[in-house]
Amino acid sequence: MAVLTESRKASLRRELEAIVGAGAVLADPDELLVYESDGLTLLRALADFVVFPVSAEQVSALVRLANRESLPFVARGAGTGLSGGCLPAEGGLVISLMRMNRVLEVDYDNQLAVVEPGLVNLHLSWTVGARGYYYAPDPSSQQACTLGGNIANNSGGPHTLKYGVTTNHVLGLEVVLPDGEIVWLGGRTRARAGYDLVGVFVGSEGTFGIATKIVVRLLRKPPAVKTVLAVFDAIDHASAAVSAIIARGLVPAAVEMIDQLTIQAVEDAFGCGYPRDAAAALLVELDGLPFGMEAQAARIVQACRDAGAREVRTARDEAERQLLWKGRKSAFGAYGRISPAYMVMDGVIPRTKLPYVLRRVNEIVAAHGLRVGNVFHAGDGNLHPNILYDPRRPGEEARVVAAGAAIMRLCAEVGGSISGEHGIGLEKSDFMPLIFSAADLALMQRLKRAFNPTGLCNPGKIFPTSKSCAEVGPVASRPHAIEEKGLAQRF
Amino acid sequence: MQDALLDGLRGVVGPANVRTGIELGPWVVEGRTPDAAVFPASTEEVAGVVALAAEADVPVVPWGGGTAAAVGSPAARTGLVLGLSRMSRLVEHEPGDLTATVEAGITVAALQAALAGRGQWLSLDPPDAERATLGGVLAADASGPRRHLYGTARDLLIGVAVVTAEGAFVRGGGKVVKNVAGYDLPKLFIGSYGTLGVVVEATLRLRPLPEAERLVGVSFDRLKDAGAAVRALLASDLIPNAVELLDGAAAAALGAGVAPGAALVVGFDGLEEQVAWQCEELARLCAPLGGREARALPPETWPRLAPAARAALGLPAATMTLTVLPMQVAETMEQGANAARARGFVTAWAAHAGVGVVSAALAAEPAPPGPLAAVLAEWREMAHAGGGQATLEWAPLAVKAQVPVWDDPGAAGRLMQGIKRELDPRNILNPGRFVAGI
Ligand SMILES: Cc1cc2nc3c(=O)[nH]c(=O)nc-3n(C[C@H](O)[C@H](O)[C@H](O)COP(=O)(O)OP(=O)(O)OC[C@H]3O[C@@H](n4cnc5c(N)ncnc54)[C@H](O)[C@@H]3O)c2cc1C
Repeated sequence: MAVLTESRKASLRRELEAIVGAGAVLADPDELLVYESDGLTLLRALADFVVFPVSAEQVSALVRLANRESLPFVARGAGTGLSGGCLPAEGGLVISLMRMNRVLEVDYDNQLAVVEPGLVNLHLSWTVGARGYYYAPDPSSQQACTLGGNIANNSGGPHTLKYGVTTNHVLGLEVVLPDGEIVWLGGRTRARAGYDLVGVFVGSEGTFGIATKIVVRLLRKPPAVKTVLAVFDAIDHASAAVSAIIARGLVPAAVEMIDQLTIQAVEDAFGCGYPRDAAAALLVELDGLPFGMEAQAARIVQACRDAGAREVRTARDEAERQLLWKGRKSAFGAYGRISPAYMVMDGVIPRTKLPYVLRRVNEIVAAHGLRVGNVFHAGDGNLHPNILYDPRRPGEEARVVAAGAAIMRLCAEVGGSISGEHGIGLEKSDFMPLIFSAADLALMQRLKRAFNPTGLCNPGKIFPTSKSCAEVGPVASRPHAIEEKGLAQRF
Repeated sequence: MQDALLDGLRGVVGPANVRTGIELGPWVVEGRTPDAAVFPASTEEVAGVVALAAEADVPVVPWGGGTAAAVGSPAARTGLVLGLSRMSRLVEHEPGDLTATVEAGITVAALQAALAGRGQWLSLDPPDAERATLGGVLAADASGPRRHLYGTARDLLIGVAVVTAEGAFVRGGGKVVKNVAGYDLPKLFIGSYGTLGVVVEATLRLRPLPEAERLVGVSFDRLKDAGAAVRALLASDLIPNAVELLDGAAAAALGAGVAPGAALVVGFDGLEEQVAWQCEELARLCAPLGGREARALPPETWPRLAPAARAALGLPAATMTLTVLPMQVAETMEQGANAARARGFVTAWAAHAGVGVVSAALAAEPAPPGPLAAVLAEWREMAHAGGGQATLEWAPLAVKAQVPVWDDPGAAGRLMQGIKRELDPRNILNPGRFVAGI
């Protein structure tokens, strides 16, 4: 990437300011630092400019300018991504959508909302909550992450076990294509003339353009909810309980697993009522009609007991339920208190392989001389091993990366995937050949060319670097060198 | 067709699996006889067939059960029918993972029967389950009444294997229920009508069979009131798995058990006590809105729901699908019927009301092509006015000549053409049948 001269930079800055206004362009190195990484602070890169448009027309003008100058550009939401997805190429534009954060329209009768991409996920559910509706996909980062980021990463959450991930809830998108044209994909109805471009755009990690309006489905809040905590003295038993629940034909809204290290961290930090000596706990939530809820809960309890649970209890009231969920959702924050840094993995495996894979994950991390906490969406087999480390200790980061690679290989070996919800981004791009053939990747490249022929829109993501095509190498070989800095706590 | 190509095809799939000449009757579409029909038995054979066709620049028409073969713009060129009926295995079913992998040629009915044996099902209920194949259902994005709760193919397909226009074997997605690695290729192939690749294998997420399921029909004197009942139902705490709205003609086609008049037909599943309670609640909810007694309908009614409008008119002159906002469904049905009546046409209407998908059929008698096209154009206008779309599902060629089958996809059409060019540069996969000239 050619480096911009100072005079070129100054004139570009004036042009950018003409598009978005003087207060909406950052170019000072100090200010740009804030945008050099996302939730995965192992990887960093500096943009030339960060800009804050307020309309699709502004986004389009920015993209056209970038094209004219052959400058790479990348959309950025809240920057909570965990795969380096919104990192700029070295130089270029970061287009932040944070000022486009309005709920434009709520149509309760037709159960949909039209929102801007910078809207924070949870704020949508707050907006429609009073009328008894909510937006179902609930990433654990929902207090901060944006709908635009969710679209790009096809984000999930605990309740996606029953309700599906982001893609199952998006009806239409207004998109600024990589050449600057503004188009609608899909709309408010279920209609589609032609290919499912909404389905293809969701999960494209910001490489197909920038979403500027999003039409999402709203759901009625379930009339009844029941939350069960099952406590186990062995991880294997907890894993077996997950299979047992599924095998009995039960479809809970969520089945989350939390292991001992995580329980202890959470209890130290927040005191959420998990037994500190448990090897693992399952948080199982049922929702739906009040009728039959007791009967279903009884079956869940029985399945857990049969699998060897030492204690199974139901949250007595909403306060206790919230506390249990707080423990689950604040696990990442709790790790921050017991370790200077941690790396979140995101593999997926067939559910029946859970006992074996969890055992192997723990062995792998121990063999690398590190500690791991597991807190994850067990119901759909989406693992989140969190490898704890201290970046100041020489060599430790390299071991984290090696352990992470081994875990991805393990997931691929058992027929799984290397990412369930965090995306490939920069972090895992070199691991794509673990699960996709050269022909698979070539077809994806062709699809990318149809949207993004110049490649200026979010370059360097998803696809393996040409070096690594033959052989899967570690992340450390990327141009974005792993640097000696711990993960900053976000919230 | 050149003999050399036929010989090549026979070499790939065996002479017994290449049909030509007068044997081609079952694959005639809109009066056009294909050059040949070939039936490969493996992915390698599919790739071999496509490669030969590509080399000879002969179009390939992937063919499942043929239930949607007539959907689309009239083909400009004839080609090779590539039938998948010999690839119909259930490759893998792991109940503990709630997933199954199938070959594209398996019929929906055969798959459901195999899954039911182990207490599970694919929560997709397209019409014609005995004939429709999984590959065809995906390519046509076919669905049925239960989509109200369980969605469509896009919510169930987690992995796909295709043979590309160049004869390469490509996989997208995977075998696990949650997966964001790489682009979502399964979505790309759903509803692509065989224009981007030949689907040879699919991996699907499954559900446990519900313990109980019931279908309830409530009759109304006025469609409008049934529409009001839909609104009340969707705003209630009930969790139906199907919400169907039918006019008097379509309701009558459902068979015995349905009282005369417009009908709201609602399905519930779950535990017995949940189903029973919801059926009672539905009756309570409909009564003040003009709903006459709620009757339980026999299970045979299920497959009759989606095709009810068509079935009501025997052999209709044309059928159209209008996709509108859920709250516009009843009005669309009434307005559409009025518009047709004003031109002397009898119609029948049925809708997946909760998701806003409306099927309309026009009676054949009396039906001179001129006014018929005018009615269809008016319907399309109606759908567009509410932000929706319309597809001419079935019509004689004379009508297709006047009314486009597909809506204009607008600016997105350019993207679609770009995707088609990238994936099928020689334009041999089902050319000319799809939107935007694809
Ligand atoms: C503590 C914590 C918990 C988390 N828990 C979960 C979880 O449970 N489930 C889950 O799925 N993820 C989770 N994540 C990951 C992350 O929050 C999600 O990926 C989220 O969707 C990112 O949103 P964002 O607004 O922060 O996007 P960013 O990080 O800013 O960007 C992510 C990607 O989206 C693209 N993008 C942003 N806006 C747009 C737009 N308008 N148009 C096109 N592309 C755009 C970017 O280019 C980038 O590729 C978690 C992260 C943290 C830090």
